[in-house]
Amino acid sequence: MINVKDLHKNFEDLEVLRGVSVEIEKGDVMCVIGPSGSGKSTFLRCLNLLEKPSSGQIIFEGDDLTGKDIDLDQHRQKMGMVFQQFNLFPHMTVLGNLTCAPMMLKKTPKDVAEKKAMELLERVGLADKANEYPNTLSGGQKQRVAIVRALCMEPDVMLFDEPTSALDPEMVGEVLEVMKELAADGMTMVVVTHEMGFAREVSNRVIFLDEGVIVEQGTPDEIFNHPQSDRLKSFLAKVL
Amino acid sequence: MSAWFAKLNETFIASGYYRLMLDGFKNTIIITLGALAISIVLGSLIAVIRYLGEDVPAMKPIVKVLTFYVNVIRGIPVVVLLLIFYFVIMKASEGLVVGIITFGINSSAYMSELIRGGINSVDKGQMEAGRSLGMSRLQCTRRIIFPQAIRYILPAVGNELIALLKETSVAGYVAVVDLTRAGNLVRNNTYDAVNPLLLVAITYLIMVFGLDALLRKMERRLARNDKR
Repeated sequence: MINVKDLHKNFEDLEVLRGVSVEIEKGDVMCVIGPSGSGKSTFLRCLNLLEKPSSGQIIFEGDDLTGKDIDLDQHRQKMGMVFQQFNLFPHMTVLGNLTCAPMMLKKTPKDVAEKKAMELLERVGLADKANEYPNTLSGGQKQRVAIVRALCMEPDVMLFDEPTSALDPEMVGEVLEVMKELAADGMTMVVVTHEMGFAREVSNRVIFLDEGVIVEQGTPDEIFNHPQSDRLKSFLAKVL
Repeated sequence: MSAWFAKLNETFIASGYYRLMLDGFKNTIIITLGALAISIVLGSLIAVIRYLGEDVPAMKPIVKVLTFYVNVIRGIPVVVLLLIFYFVIMKASEGLVVGIITFGINSSAYMSELIRGGINSVDKGQMEAGRSLGMSRLQCTRRIIFPQAIRYILPAVGNELIALLKETSVAGYVAVVDLTRAGNLVRNNTYDAVNPLLLVAITYLIMVFGLDALLRKMERRLARNDKR
């Protein structure tokens, strides 16, 4: 589904990604772990080209997103993204946040878009918040709305950029629960996370990034129970 | 006190100069509003093009030209600009028209900067969220960024309007009888320096106070509707 080929990214002189290649299959739940500054978020943001790769290719459903004549906006509609800081639109109600993109970009009629949004809100237990503004919600509620906002575009893959890192500890669970359900439904997901429990339990593949390269990758069992490299061993010793 | 009223009557009413003052007042309003219209249209255009063009290589030359324009206009005193337009660029035009255009162009440079500032004060994550959903940069700006930026922009536009109103007092340099020029003419012709200038100053003051009150009201309303 997404084929990343020899991805490099520099910020001026700083080399953040130094040749990352990975293939994400349909239905994969891939967690990306690693110390801060390892390039995890940059890697994720390169997948939908929020960051422009310095070199390398991102092949998404057969199209090279780094190509010159590519219609990025069209492809981004199929890649939902959830941010650490939620990034809900504060001037719109929850329902407005959810229906804005489908109505604008897919020309979905208002009643259809709202019906779909309400169904999804129901699923994450926030139907009663539909007409509230984002600032009245808790962090966990905001992030669940943000997930639903991405889902309303009916994406083929969901990208999560540390979705629980800005949350109070007691709200992490409710967001992870939604993500687990999503994974159980077969959604293809790429998750940058510090939640090792989630990675171990929900993902089917884990990649460990350090200093801009994939140091190790494998199943959660391989990564967490049988780490090979010293680098991963010392990382796990610190976080587990 | 009654001596002062007699003097006022002599200077403005009996002499008929109140009509000149009214004309001047009218011209000041016309120049200010005309210039404001130009300033808002031109300023928004410059701000939006510079904002949207930031990441587009093909737009670079245009962005550079606009940045240069803003810097040049901001670096020249408005009186000098006015004289250049009146005596060089728009030789055949009436002073009033030259005034409207010059003050409009001058103000547009400041206006574009404050609109750009408002746009830039919206969190970067907002644009990223919009883009990640598949919106274009323009769609994001219109639906996501601008409605949020307007809250920062409006108060600043009000301040710019007040500055603009007071700046038009130099329109007399190019033979426009604005409020200031009218007062000065009356002073010259009546040998009464105190009252014409006093009247001019008080008129500006009342207008500025009025605008200020209006602005505060608007700001309060914006704050009340602020759902964040």
